[in-house]
Amino acid sequence: MIEVRGLTKQYGTVRAVDDLTFDVRPGKVTGFLGPNGAGKSTTMRMVLGLDRPTAGRALVAGRPFAGLARPLRTAGALLDAQAVNPGRSGRDHLRVAARTNGIPVRRVDEVIDQVGLGPAARRRVRGYSLGMRQRLGIAGALLGDPAVLLFDEPMNGLDLDGVRWIRRLVRELADEGRTVLLSSHLMSEMEQTADHLVIIGRGRLIADASLEEIMRGENAARRVRVRTPSGDDLAGALLRRHLRVHPTGDGDLLVEGASAETVGDVALELGVAVHRLAEEHSSLEQVYLDLTGDSVQYRVLAAPEPAGQVRR
Amino acid sequence: MSATGVAVRSADASTATVFARAASAEWLRLRTVRTTWWCLLAAAVTIVGIGATAAFDEAQGPAGPGSTLPATLAGEFGVLPGQFALLVLALLAVTQEHATGMIGPTLQWTPRRGVLLAARVAVPVAVATVAGVLLALVTDVAAWFIAPGLTLSLADLADSLGRIAAVLAAGSLLAVGLGLLLRSTAGALATVFLLQLVLPFLLPAFDVAWMRDLGRVLPGSGAIWTLLGEPDMTAVLATTVLAGWSAAALAGGGWSLLRRDAG
Ligand SMILES: Nc1ncnc2c1ncn2[C@@H]1O[C@H](COP(=O)(O)OP(=O)(O)OP(=O)(O)O)[C@@H](O)[C@H]1O
Ligand SMILES: [Mg+2]
Repeated sequence: MIEVRGLTKQYGTVRAVDDLTFDVRPGKVTGFLGPNGAGKSTTMRMVLGLDRPTAGRALVAGRPFAGLARPLRTAGALLDAQAVNPGRSGRDHLRVAARTNGIPVRRVDEVIDQVGLGPAARRRVRGYSLGMRQRLGIAGALLGDPAVLLFDEPMNGLDLDGVRWIRRLVRELADEGRTVLLSSHLMSEMEQTADHLVIIGRGRLIADASLEEIMRGENAARRVRVRTPSGDDLAGALLRRHLRVHPTGDGDLLVEGASAETVGDVALELGVAVHRLAEEHSSLEQVYLDLTGDSVQYRVLAAPEPAGQVRR
Repeated sequence: MSATGVAVRSADASTATVFARAASAEWLRLRTVRTTWWCLLAAAVTIVGIGATAAFDEAQGPAGPGSTLPATLAGEFGVLPGQFALLVLALLAVTQEHATGMIGPTLQWTPRRGVLLAARVAVPVAVATVAGVLLALVTDVAAWFIAPGLTLSLADLADSLGRIAAVLAAGSLLAVGLGLLLRSTAGALATVFLLQLVLPFLLPAFDVAWMRDLGRVLPGSGAIWTLLGEPDMTAVLATTVLAGWSAAALAGGGWSLLRRDAG
């Protein structure tokens, strides 16, 4: 369990985290989402006592992390896979970690096997790929067999195999009853992995709800796909009811903000045949974009058309 | 992975235990990077090499047989330049953590910053001091063999090695403190070199009163006096200068580690 209460961090004139309050519960994968610069990493750093909050506090397993004598037994984290001394071997890096927390060296070799670092563990980190560094970082997080885990964008730089491995690992950790907080920008990954979502923007809380709730929430605009031989008639009738309708390329109609019942009833009233009627829920990506649209700080300007476009 | 991890274990350890673990980890950290060994090699070559050469010169010189120069001069001559390899060792132990971002994981492993500070200061300072004293001892004995005109008594040895230990402890405290405060290898290294080597030699050369006075209160001047008895300075002043700079650097570095964000 991680409890964040009124957490605030001011860097000079930047309010990186602004009065954030939420809980991360055991037995679930909690996805931590937000645009670049939203304050996700800063929040995790404060939870782990790396940065001092301007106001508020965070508790890990009921206690401030910075007071723990064997912190790795309580919480493990991977914040920045690059933050390793490149001159030390991966195994020595973990041996140092183990020693600080009174963990037997045997456990070091266990986690090396668990993350699949294998023989590379005895080489210096200097020669590791990003994916190998991520694995080393995760090994460090698992070292103390902790009840709480924090991962900041652990899938960055991983190949497909690595991504799938993290997805399974995170699932297993949560199923074992651990608390897992996972940040990522990969919405499709989150949709598959997370049970609960905490979404922030510009340091403030935007949403704190289960994936289910967020996907069905008011921002999760529902729409209905309908296939009918009398497209024009049905579209006309729906438009008269102030529903937005657009045709799709393949001859179906998409009706925004309506339920399948409404569309079916309209069709019945009109007496037109319906060959297909399906509610479509937006992807997490769409819901997320709607939720965070106002709090994106670093927006990409529309790119100019490339000059030498290939004509078909 | 065992499922026992799910239960939160509150095996709380005493501060002494946490310190022992942190210090042992600092020692492992030092041993597992090559920089440490390069610094020790450089220190060995400089201290023993320069010390033995000085002793050889002494044996050839006019004050040859019949003089009563102590062999411990060799170790002192060697440590004067050789200390810098040891100060670099102690300094890198601290600044590399910030340069690589490793301070993040380090603070996750030992979040009690006071304990981390104690271990992080004690271990590199002890390593640099012990290594320097051992190398000086080797140099003294070697010099005594090379130049039989030199004398070697236990009293001389104890006195000389004691002064060398004081100089190295003060110097590496300064280096570690500045490393913790400045967090940058280049910045801290430049500052240590200026305070310990460049300015103490440069300032008196200007023959301006206030520059000479300023030069005398720099840590390097205290170190040179403690090693060689030059330039003119009282033992009280030298001790005050050495202890004062170490204490100030430690206070600044300690504040930085205890109070600032990990960075
Ligand atoms: N040490 C620092 N000094 C000054 N400003 C900082 C510092 N660390 C973070 N910030 C600022 O705080 C804000 C939040 O940054 P943070 O790294 O927490 O965002 P994030 O949600 O992790 O973003 P990303 O998705 O890009 O990783 C940003 O505006 C950032 O510029
Ligand atoms: Mg981040």
